[in-house]
Parts: sequence; structure tokens; C-alpha cells
Amino acid sequence: MRKMDSSHDTIVALATPVGTSAIAVVRASGPQCAELARAILGKTPRARFALHGDYRDRHGVVIDDVVATFFAGPKSYTGEDVLEISSHGNPFIAQKILEDLLARGCRAAEAGEFSRRAFLNGRIDLSQAEAVMDLIHARSERALAAANQQLRGSLGRHLSVLTEELLGVLARVEAYIDFPDEDLPVEDRGIVLEGVRRVMAGADRLLATQHYGELLRDGIKTVIVGEPNAGKSSLLNRLVGRERALVSAEPGTTRDFIEERVIIGPHCLRLIDTAGLNPSPAPLEKLGMEKTLERAAEADLFLLVLDATRPRPELPPELLARIDAGNALIVINKIDLAASAGVSLSQLIEQKEIVKISARTGEGLEALVAAVVRRAEAFRRDQGDEVIAINARHAAALERAKVCLQGAMAHLRDDGPVELLASDLRGALDALGEIGGRIDNERMLDHLFATFCIGK
Amino acid sequence: MIYNKIPFDVIVCGAGHAGCEAALAAARMGATTLLLTGNIDTIAQMSCNPAIGGQAKGQMVREIDALGGEMGINTDVTGIQFRLLNESKGPAVQSPRAQCDKKMYQFRLKHTLELQPGLHVFQAMVTGLVYSGDKVVGVQTNLDIEFAGKTVVVTTGTFLRGLMHIGLNKNEGGRLGDFTAKTLSASFLAAGIELQRLKTGTPPRLLGRSLDFSQMEEQKGDASPTLFAFHDTRDPEDLFHVEQTGEQRLGWVPGAAQVSCWMTYTTERTAQLVRENLHKSAMYSGEIEGVGPRYCPSIEDKFVRFADKPRHLLFLEPEGRSTNEYYVNGLSTSLPFDVQLEMVRSVPGLQNAELLRPAYAVEYDFAPPTQLFPSLESRKVENLFFAGQINGTSGYEEAAAQGLVAGVNAVRKVRSQPPMVIKRHEGYIGVLIDDLVTKGTREPYRMFTSRAEHRLLFNHGSAELRMLHHAREHGLVSATRLARIEEKKRMIEEWTAAFEKLRAPAGQGSLGDAVRRATTGGGMLPPFPEEFAKQSDAIRSEVLYRVSYQGYLAREQRQIEKLSAIESIKLPADIDYLAVRGLRKESATKLQEFRPYTLGQAARISGVNPADISILMVYLEARRAAGKADRAVGAD
Repeated sequence: MRKMDSSHDTIVALATPVGTSAIAVVRASGPQCAELARAILGKTPRARFALHGDYRDRHGVVIDDVVATFFAGPKSYTGEDVLEISSHGNPFIAQKILEDLLARGCRAAEAGEFSRRAFLNGRIDLSQAEAVMDLIHARSERALAAANQQLRGSLGRHLSVLTEELLGVLARVEAYIDFPDEDLPVEDRGIVLEGVRRVMAGADRLLATQHYGELLRDGIKTVIVGEPNAGKSSLLNRLVGRERALVSAEPGTTRDFIEERVIIGPHCLRLIDTAGLNPSPAPLEKLGMEKTLERAAEADLFLLVLDATRPRPELPPELLARIDAGNALIVINKIDLAASAGVSLSQLIEQKEIVKISARTGEGLEALVAAVVRRAEAFRRDQGDEVIAINARHAAALERAKVCLQGAMAHLRDDGPVELLASDLRGALDALGEIGGRIDNERMLDHLFATFCIGK
Repeated sequence: MIYNKIPFDVIVCGAGHAGCEAALAAARMGATTLLLTGNIDTIAQMSCNPAIGGQAKGQMVREIDALGGEMGINTDVTGIQFRLLNESKGPAVQSPRAQCDKKMYQFRLKHTLELQPGLHVFQAMVTGLVYSGDKVVGVQTNLDIEFAGKTVVVTTGTFLRGLMHIGLNKNEGGRLGDFTAKTLSASFLAAGIELQRLKTGTPPRLLGRSLDFSQMEEQKGDASPTLFAFHDTRDPEDLFHVEQTGEQRLGWVPGAAQVSCWMTYTTERTAQLVRENLHKSAMYSGEIEGVGPRYCPSIEDKFVRFADKPRHLLFLEPEGRSTNEYYVNGLSTSLPFDVQLEMVRSVPGLQNAELLRPAYAVEYDFAPPTQLFPSLESRKVENLFFAGQINGTSGYEEAAAQGLVAGVNAVRKVRSQPPMVIKRHEGYIGVLIDDLVTKGTREPYRMFTSRAEHRLLFNHGSAELRMLHHAREHGLVSATRLARIEEKKRMIEEWTAAFEKLRAPAGQGSLGDAVRRATTGGGMLPPFPEEFAKQSDAIRSEVLYRVSYQGYLAREQRQIEKLSAIESIKLPADIDYLAVRGLRKESATKLQEFRPYTLGQAARISGVNPADISILMVYLEARRAAGKADRAVGAD
């Protein structure tokens, strides 16, 4: 059987279906696997033994506790070193693990690539070849259908805008390399720099939709914030419909975070209860507050819970800076205790939608749900009619493109060699081509000959 | 009559730039070779601009020289102006270019052919091929003399049903004053070879003494010329001034007594003339059906497509030392003669110009090169090879490169040896042939550096190192030259490694670090060890290139390694892609049309995606195993 040179790169993919399940398995194959296991779990893996430990990402932050199994090549599915990481079946966790592995230098596997490696390394014999062919076929066609659907739509349009811009920029650089004797206008690297910046900004915009994709897949991250004892945990319990958070009259009961997924209307919310924001906290409380503010930094939606029986609280400026009319709802709780709001609504919270409820009696809850749904709808509207949600593979390619674009910008800044500038621009173009299909050099030449009068 | 009972190993039809290299390569490999030309006096003629080299082409000529070809040396010793293009840019995109003495170039090459042992040159026009089944076995000529050959290399240039246009005036011929090859096309069609039309053009030639150069800007050659041939490794007997077989060879010391070119611009009057007479242009009146090159547009095209550009640059280039004829680079046209005359005279310095020859466009047949194997052998007719413009290319250098490869591979075929296939990452010749046979071309194909994925590796100075293993394996250079190239390579590699170990002064890290800092930061180069300073220019500049661009060159190497696995997997010629289960229809159709030779080529076809490549791999393996099973059954 023909053997390919052992592969140089390590590929990763989610091995279990996308979505919430009991466990999610991320699989990696390639020479980096042993090293990855050591870096992530801090232990040297023993082949074919399950290893239980914390998954620490490249910044040392624990993502989840996982079970990892290492298979040394050639006695593995692909014939190479393989690492399988089983995490809790939350798509968000699996996604984080996948992103971390990509950031550590792995490559997102192409459709059928694990099977292909297995086949090429002689792990699948001929009797299985037919089955493999069917498998690859089925997987690629499904993947292709999904990809094509997206590529024909808005992602494709956005991508082709970037590609065309980059081709134009590259043509502008190549013209001066390939036609030095021509009567070209004076070389203007300012135009090139502007173009590179536009492509970079476009790549960033697309990368930002990865978050929107998460929003759709994993739910809208909704943080319940407010002063201690405003009834945040009661609200969470009310929305979830069961006693999830410990509720007491003692302020500052919630020191850690409680996260629950709830379906509200057509939307999925990841509801996060946080420690109360106290202007003069006890040391332990202070720690909880810092964490709250950290959480707030990543939130999509804020439910700012105010106590109707008390005057308007002092809120930390970090929090106030994050909230606006688009991402916050003011929830005035305990209206069963104070008929009219005792809160004086300052300018700060004006223009933000206000809902009055009683978490204890459930009064006003329907209005709150309706307001949350409206807010969630607004997230969609913010993206226009186009629903773009790039996946991790797209994001990895865009990140690679950005690295090349940064290199190009450095050459432009330092007035570096033009062929290296071109090399980086080509790298960026190749990376974009991995999403939407290979970009032929002929298209660069089309731009070049359309832009410049060549031919002495 | 049949001329020979024992067939020639190789018959080359056409003695242009492709034909000459094909014949020389074949004969130098020891094959009995016949070169047929319609006119012995026009061997190696520069039908258009008498210049060799330029961007990408210059690098390609150095590759030809590294493979034992003649174009480099012939240019060096007959050149009258030398310039290194892109001198201010990095080494990878610097290209030598030379203006040649048109007649001297021809004379010296003709003489070289005449002196080549094993090579027969004969004047006769090939009118058809002689087939036996699906193989070619010889050629017929207009003199009713038939020649038998084991292989045939066809290099017809623009002569295949050549039709010249000057306005509405039409003449048959491949070049002004020459004939056309009319019946050969039918001979190809009869064998199932598809033909299409292309178009190219050439500007008018002017009489020098009728020009006023004081109104133009002078462009001088480089004081120290960059040459094409590797004079540091070439055998002394290869060079021009040394006697070979007792005969003095033509030429002069390279770079001696250079002449100038001159620059001037078209005027508003020129533009007006073009616009007013556009309907009389052969191209704009619909007389021409062939597709012309975008990079070498006619003056009509320039004024129409770039209407906002007020003027266009023209170069006046001398055609030789013993002629007063000047080539007007930039003024290609198919407008009628009277308009041409007025147009020329609307240009500063050319007000009183006398035309020696008019500009004209020429249309000709080419055989789409996707009908070829990477060896340049026809897929339709065995032992038949194609090189040069018949494959849809443009340019002397592109033609010479293909001629050399076709000549070598014709001999390899006769000897039942595998062909020489230069890979895409090895040099421009590899890119050229891979592009042609994989993707074909819609316009006359010219090489650009941007066509090469691994351009940074293709600096002109490294051509010998990149071609070394081909030269060695196919016996294309002498043993003494081979030894010199190998020694040069060893020194370059040793010094490149040494730069990373030696320390730069004042604790600035390694010598390599200091060089790289100087390259990117524009600072001063560190002092070099005495031993290094003693090395030849060629060695020093290659080492410094490798050291200063180390990171980028390493990145290119990594990409090449990544691709090498699928590049080496061959696709059998008889695959029916439409019947491969699981292949998408779009891919299958494209693969069926282009019939790639390797899996790497298949991956380069636009529209073929990675999943298709996976499916092909599985298909190949299943097929191989099934073949084995069949044979096993047959043995029972």
C-alpha cells in the first residue's frame, strides 16, 4: 500500500455531533499530539490509558475537566499519534477546546481527513476501502452542501469583496515587480496600505461573526447584575422555573456564578447569576465582584436588577461603561413590596427599557420575557438581513490571513523588500482561498492588466 | 524518395529558438538528430524584438544554460546592451536582459548547429507527418523527400497557417517575407490533434539616420553587465572566442562596446490618429479571429482601453552593430500602412522617420497544450513532441525552454527512459510546462514571476543549483562542468551554515543575524571573514541571499514539503473520471477535460477541492489492488 510521508501537521476536529450532549469528543491526529497532552494536562500521557485532569488553555485557564486518551502511532485509528479529549457535552466547551488547539498550531481537519490519513497509513485494508469511500463521499457532500449554502449567501459575498480587494492590492504590487520597464505611474505604497487595512478590517468583521455564530449555537450570554440582595438569584430561579440558586435574605449570598440555559421564546439564553455589586464590599465579596465585572465584560445582554424598595444604587463605572440601550434591560424588582418605584431614574438609565416585576410573586414576568425576546430579536436585526456565522475552520483561515496581512503592513511601514510584501499578500490570499476555494493567479493578472497599461 | 533507411533518433521540424535548443540537446545527448528548416538563412531569427531576457524570462534563460542549453551563451557574446532589471529590488526578482545583434545572434547559432557532432541540418519545408497506427514515424517535405525518424519534435512558431494583417491587407506567411506552413495543420487534424487560433503583432522598423535622437532620452547599458551563461562553471571550449573543431566562433567579449536605446512618447496627435482610424485596424474591424496577448497590446488597444492615459512610452532599440535598423518597442499595430506612417511621424524625434518594414499582426494555429504529457509528448500521437509557439506560448525564452525539454525527452523516449520533468518548485521552466499541460492557455502565454508560487527560490544566480540534479541525471553538461557546479553548491551550503555559527563582532549574535538586521533595517553589513571575501562573486551573493532571506526561504521549503506527497502520486492516463464514484460532477468534468498527470496537478485545477482529491486517492488504491487481483486470477 502506498504510504504518504508522515504528515507534518496535526489536525483536529469535533468527533461527536455538534450540539448539547452528555459528552463531546475532540480528536487530534499528528506529530504534535503527545506534546499537546503534556502542555494541556501537565502529564505525560501513557498510551491507551484514560487520563483525567483539567484542560488548561494556552493562557493557563481551566476550560473544563476532561478525560484524555492518547494512542501512539502506528497503533491508532489514523496510524499517527492520536489524542482524544472527552469534555462535558456543552458545545461551548468543545468549541473553546477546538479554538485552543487551533491556536496551539493544529489545523482544522478537512472533510474525511482522518479517514484519509488512516487509509494512507495502511490502517484500513482494501475490504474497508469501499466503505471509506462512501464515508468520505457522504461527509464531504454534506459538508459541501452546508458550505456551499453559506458560500452562495452572504459569507460568500463578503469573502469575495475581500478577495477582490486583496487581488487589486496584490496586482498593484506585482505590476512593479514584473513590469519594471513599463511606463507605470509612480509607485504609491499608500494606496497599498489603505487596501491592506480595508482587508484587515473586513477580516475582523467576519471574525466577529464567529461570536454571532456562537450566539446562535450556544445562546445569548445574559448576565444578571445588581446590588446585593436586589433579587438577582430569585429572578434566575423564576426564569429557570426551579430553585437553582441559593436564595436568602442575607445580601451577598451568591459568591460564585450560577449558569443556566433557558429557552425564552425562540431564543436560547445562557443566564448567569452574579455576585452583588456592593460599593463597600467585604474582602471575600470584593473577589466575587471582580469576577462579576469580568463576566460582564463578555456579556451580550444585561439584566440590571434594581430594588424597588431602595434608592438608586451606586454602580461601578466599569459596568456602566458596558451597558447601553441596546444591551441592557432595567428590571425593577420587589414591586410587590413598593407599589411605585422608589428608584429615582437618573439620566444614566434613561432611554433603557424598564420592566417592573416581582420575582417573588411572578408579577410582570411575562412583560420581562417579552422584553428579552425583543432584545434578542434586536441582535439579529443588528446583523441586517444577512445571517453570517463563520465556524472555527473559517476563523482559523481568517486568522492565518491576518498574520500575513500584519507581515505585509510591517513591510509597508519599514519600506521592506517588495517581493516579501508580495509574498505576505499571497499568503493572505491563499488563506482566504481555503474558505471559498483556490484563487488562481490568472485573476490577479486580470486585475493587473485592467489597472495598468502594460506593453511597451 | 525516402532519404534514410535507418531512422533518425530525433527529427526537429523548425529551426527557431525552440527547434535549435531541441536539436542541440538531442545531438549533445548522443542521439542522431535531423533539424529541418524552411530556410537555413533564418535560423534562430528574432522575428520581433531583438532582445533576450527580462522579468522571469531572464531567470529562465539561466535555467536553460544550467541545463546545457545555448541561448545564454549566444546572448552573452552577441549582446550589444545589457541591463539588470529591478536592480533596486531583492535578488529573487532581479532579471538580466540584453539587446542582441540580430544577425550575429543568428550567425553564431547557425554555426554552432553546423559544428555540432551528430546533428544534421537540412533545408526543406515539412508538409506533413508520416504515421504508423497512432505513432509518428517520419515527415514529408515540399521537396518530396521523406525522412524517417523514431521521434519528431514540431516547432512551427507562427508559421502554421500564418496570416499577416496590415489594415485590411492580408498576406499568407508566418513572418514578413516568409512562407506559411499550410498542409501541416491538416496532418495534425487527421491525427485527432485539436488546433485553435492565436494572434500576435510586431511594430514597424525604422531607419536610424532618419531619426533625431536629440529629442529622445538615452538609456544606457549597465557598466558591469550581468550575463546569462554561467561563465564560472562553463568549460572554456563552450565559450565564444576559443577554437572548437578548428573553427573560430563568432561573437565578442560580453559587454564590450555597448550601444544605447532611446525613449520617446506618443503625442495627442498619435492618439487622435488611432481613434480616427480605428475602423481600419485589422483587429477592430473584425478581420482577426485569434486572441492576442494582454501584456503586449497594440497601440489601438492601449488608447482604447486606457483612454485617460494621454501618452505612451516608446523605446527605439537598435537591431545590431552592422545595421541602421531600429525596432519601435511599444508601437505594435495592425493599422494600415498610411496611418502607421503618420502615426510614427507624430512622435518627437520620429518626425522625419523612414519605415523599413511596416508593423503587422499575425494569426496562426496552435495546438492547445493540454493535449500534451508533461514530457511535451502528444497524448494523441506517440513519439510526437511539441515545443514553442505551437503550444500557445510567446517569447524566445519560453520557446527555447520547451525546445530543450522536448529534445531531451525525445531522446529519453527513444532510449525507453522516463522523461525529464522539472517541477514547479524547481524553476520557471517547471512552472511554464506545468501551467501549459495542466491548464492550457487562452492568450499567447508569457512567463511572469507572479506565476511561480515559489518565486523567492528562483533568483537567477541559483539556476544552476536548482537544475543540477536534472543536468546530472540526463547527462546535459560535461563531467568537468558538473564537478564545478557541485563544488560551488558545496561551498554555498557550507558558508550558509557557517554564517549561523560564526559570531558577529560586538556581541550582536551570529553573523547571519547581523546580515539579516542589515537587510531589513537598512543598516551596515558586518565585516566578513577573510576566507569568505576570497570566494567568487557567484558564491558570495548566493550565500548572502540565503542568509538574509532565511525565514522566507524556509517558509517556501515547508510549503513544498507539504505538497510533495500528492505531487508524486501519478494518475493513470486511462481513468474515466465521470465513472469515479463519489466525485462531484464539476470536478469530474474538469478532470476529464484536463486529464492531470499527478494528483498535485489535479489539485491545482480550479474547482477541484480537497475532498475530491481524497476520493481520487481512495479510487487509485482500490484500482491498484483490483489490478493485482485480476492478474492473480489470470495466473490461475
